[in-house]
Amino acid sequence: MGIGRRQFFAGIAASAVASTITARRAWSTDAQVVISSTWGADKPFQKVVDAFNGKKLGVTVANRFDGDYEAAVAKAVASTAAGRPPAMMITGWKFGYFARRTLGARDLREIGASDAILAKFQPSVLPLVTIDGALIGLPWAMSTPITFINKALWQEAGLDPALPQNPDIDWLYSAARTLDGKLKGRHPSYRSPLALSNNEWTSQSFIQNAGGHIIDPDGKLALNSPEAIAGMKAYCSPAFEGLWVPIGAKEQDAAFESGALAICTTSSTRATVFPFGAAEAVTTKFPGLAGHPRRMNSGGNFLAIYAREKEQAEASLSFLAFCASKEGQSIWSEVGYLNTSVHEIPLINAFMKPAAEQLADGLTAETIWPGKRGLEGQAIWRKWVSRMLLKEVGIAEGMKAADQELHTLISA
Amino acid sequence: MRSPFGSIAPYLFVGPAVLSVAIFLYGPLIASALLSLLDWNLLSSELRYVGFGNYATILDNNDFRLAAWNTVIYCAVLIPPQIVLPLLLALLIHAVRDTSAQSIYRGALFLPTILAYSVAGVAWSWLLNPVNGLFNELFGYFGFPKSRWHTDPDLALLCVCLVTFWKTFGLNMLLWLAALANVPHDLREASQLDGANATRHFFTISLPLMTPTAFFITVTTIFHVLDDIVGVIDVLTQGGPAGRSSSVLYFLWQQGLQFFQFGPASAVAVLIIAVVLSVTWLQFRVGERRVHYG
Repeated sequence: MGIGRRQFFAGIAASAVASTITARRAWSTDAQVVISSTWGADKPFQKVVDAFNGKKLGVTVANRFDGDYEAAVAKAVASTAAGRPPAMMITGWKFGYFARRTLGARDLREIGASDAILAKFQPSVLPLVTIDGALIGLPWAMSTPITFINKALWQEAGLDPALPQNPDIDWLYSAARTLDGKLKGRHPSYRSPLALSNNEWTSQSFIQNAGGHIIDPDGKLALNSPEAIAGMKAYCSPAFEGLWVPIGAKEQDAAFESGALAICTTSSTRATVFPFGAAEAVTTKFPGLAGHPRRMNSGGNFLAIYAREKEQAEASLSFLAFCASKEGQSIWSEVGYLNTSVHEIPLINAFMKPAAEQLADGLTAETIWPGKRGLEGQAIWRKWVSRMLLKEVGIAEGMKAADQELHTLISA
Repeated sequence: MRSPFGSIAPYLFVGPAVLSVAIFLYGPLIASALLSLLDWNLLSSELRYVGFGNYATILDNNDFRLAAWNTVIYCAVLIPPQIVLPLLLALLIHAVRDTSAQSIYRGALFLPTILAYSVAGVAWSWLLNPVNGLFNELFGYFGFPKSRWHTDPDLALLCVCLVTFWKTFGLNMLLWLAALANVPHDLREASQLDGANATRHFFTISLPLMTPTAFFITVTTIFHVLDDIVGVIDVLTQGGPAGRSSSVLYFLWQQGLQFFQFGPASAVAVLIIAVVLSVTWLQFRVGERRVHYG
């Protein structure tokens, strides 16, 4: 039995369609991508993953909790060395250079990220994830330090409940003195007026608000500048005055939540917790320095693709596209990060307003230390911040020594 | 006729054990020694031989020197009480006649040893919280000045020692208890008949008979101290403030798994191996001849 011309072409067309469907189906049924993350199944990130998987787009994402940023990166190093890098990873901002230069984070544009995905983020945040000219992730998780105030203690000290929109350190430190004067030894839970967070992050805010830089726009260390020193003096002065007992983050949170600490400047992500606990915190912006323009910094993480295989990389990109969508961003906003997208997403609560305003004012990145030994930079800077706070070294001397030690490090 | 299997049987039985020791012990040792001579991040194709450059860098590093000095202090402060106090507690428990009461004491004192470091760290950071921790509340109640505890550069190391001791003395206590239980009862009766009091019995009969355990505890406590302080440092102080509670093992962890500087981290590992081997060799040289193996 012969085959007619029409039958022949119909057969060709049918097999072409079938192969296309089969190929698409193979991609759609088989693409499983693992994301190494810093959040377990009980966190809002899992809801983003579940919502994406629920769409049955042909890619299934598995959220693998790998510990904190350092632990996740350590596991990524091991798996990359074994030839099996994670397809995607939640990567801390501070690992920007390491992610690109060592772990080989993919340039999203190279994988095929369309401008449509990137256009869903505010143009001001894209430079934060651009390393060596490559766009290495979605800048979707951004926080900034703000001020939390225990409402009841504030009122009991007779302080004005109308908080200024742009507070400065004079106002904040004066309030701390009043709190201590009125409540110390008299209030059952009150123990300390203020905590500015003993770390490299809030100290960077002070330096920038004083007009200085940790690393200037030309990429040079600028810790030994008069502005940076002035910022550091303002940062350390409440500790020297006895208004602030510098402690670790966990203890600081515990003290604030139990009503022992009246004012705490820390990450805006705490706005999902502090206002709803015993402290009934109210929020305002991070304090600036009178007479200087405010220049606040941010922190957080970006969502990067490390997969080498084309299919895995493209499947990962489809998840990133969902994360960039309004639906993805709306679910994600529950975690308490700022909305870096262009979507109109209502604030999860009014206590996030100061953080949103700081974002609108413009935020710089947290310090991403360059060089082969850059990851040591944060620990070294934190060490010098501690030494200055503890008065083990004078501020000018400490800033100079930090500058020298970090200079050797980042030029290695 | 002799089976051909007979000649290879010993190798088959011993082989897996030898192989696993070679792969999981000597392999990493050799790899660390080699890595310590290289400038390589395990991922890059750039691999540079730097000789003893990593060692020079480490020895020149102030943070390493501080961590090494802290480690000496940790050993000096922790090792004697880690050996002696568990022995005293074991003697007290051993002297309790009521076996159920003895079990309760033993269980209660051993409990901290089985707690996870994360749980212990959170509990102790609440107790030691300089703003409103229990210790400061008690100090305040009795009119003493408040302390900054583990956030005080002069106290951080001692706080780590306190928590490490609390967390780990239980194992040595159990070992001492087992050794005490193995001292023959008839020797006790005989010494009592000869008029020896409890102190004399302990020093002339029990302790000499427990010297194998004493030697074992002396050798292993140094490893435990080096190892256990890392867990406590990690959950309580993170080596701070300003490196004042760091140790060489914590420094190694930071270099390797926080900063991904595998060359310098391997150099630290090799230095630690050399020191621990030397100390252990010395312990065997000095201590083993005093051990009575029965």
